[in-house]
Amino acid sequence: MSQSLSPECTPLKQAYDSCFNSWFEGYLEPAIAASTSSETRAAYSKKKADEFQAKCGKVWEEYKACVQKAVKEKGLDKLLQQAREENPLVEPIPPPPVNSTTK
Amino acid sequence: MWHKYPNSRCTHVVSIDTIDRTVDPVTGIIRTERVMGCKQKAPLWIVKVRPYSPPACVFAVSNAAARLMQLFGGSEDAFVREISFVDPATQNVTITSVNLSLSQFATCNELIRYSPASPTHTLFSQTAEIQARMALWRSAADGLEKWLVQRFEQNAHLGKLGFTDVLRNLWEERHRAPSPS
Repeated sequence: MSQSLSPECTPLKQAYDSCFNSWFEGYLEPAIAASTSSETRAAYSKKKADEFQAKCGKVWEEYKACVQKAVKEKGLDKLLQQAREENPLVEPIPPPPVNSTTK
Repeated sequence: MWHKYPNSRCTHVVSIDTIDRTVDPVTGIIRTERVMGCKQKAPLWIVKVRPYSPPACVFAVSNAAARLMQLFGGSEDAFVREISFVDPATQNVTITSVNLSLSQFATCNELIRYSPASPTHTLFSQTAEIQARMALWRSAADGLEKWLVQRFEQNAHLGKLGFTDVLRNLWEERHRAPSPS
């Protein structure tokens, strides 16, 4: 278990990480299985997103508040803001186009 | 993948914080934004010679950043922003990283992708883009100049105080000594 950038956030970080990890453990395989159609995928995704919120939402809010404060104290908020403006990365990066001659 | 750091081969990562995470209720894609802190412990060449640890290039820049920051008396921690996407439908994982520390001088954007090549094989690809912000070198030079001027002023001031003390001591000695008559 790694540390938070601020020691006071480390207990919350570890609680959140364990919560996420235990949720994630049961996520991937059924998600792959549910990906055969967009309907089953959406149904599964909605169920699991709600479950994640219900399980880890509270500890996440506490941890987020702590780490946001720490980020600001370290002077990282401006650098982070700049990086987000330059590269928001809200959507997954599409794979490079496959070259038809080498395929 | 969230357990990649810290590991014994990558001890320079000292902190990992998730600052944002969403699970898309339609696609099931998990997006995670993290900030990682690293310390300049290993010499830079170790980071260069072993490109095993993505984001190696980002850490190379970050470590360089950490060195520079030490030099300028700042914090020795260097920070990296990392965004990952896990898509269960396509079974693709993409991880992008960029240095936050000293990003005003240079940035290193690294992209790592894991995608299924066959039921038993995973394709790993890694690209990096390093960009120096030339337009900002001027302001950096200005900043360095200002810093050097300040240092000079401080030192000059100390030097002057020191010399004043020397003169005062000489003067006091001269006046304490019995007059040669």
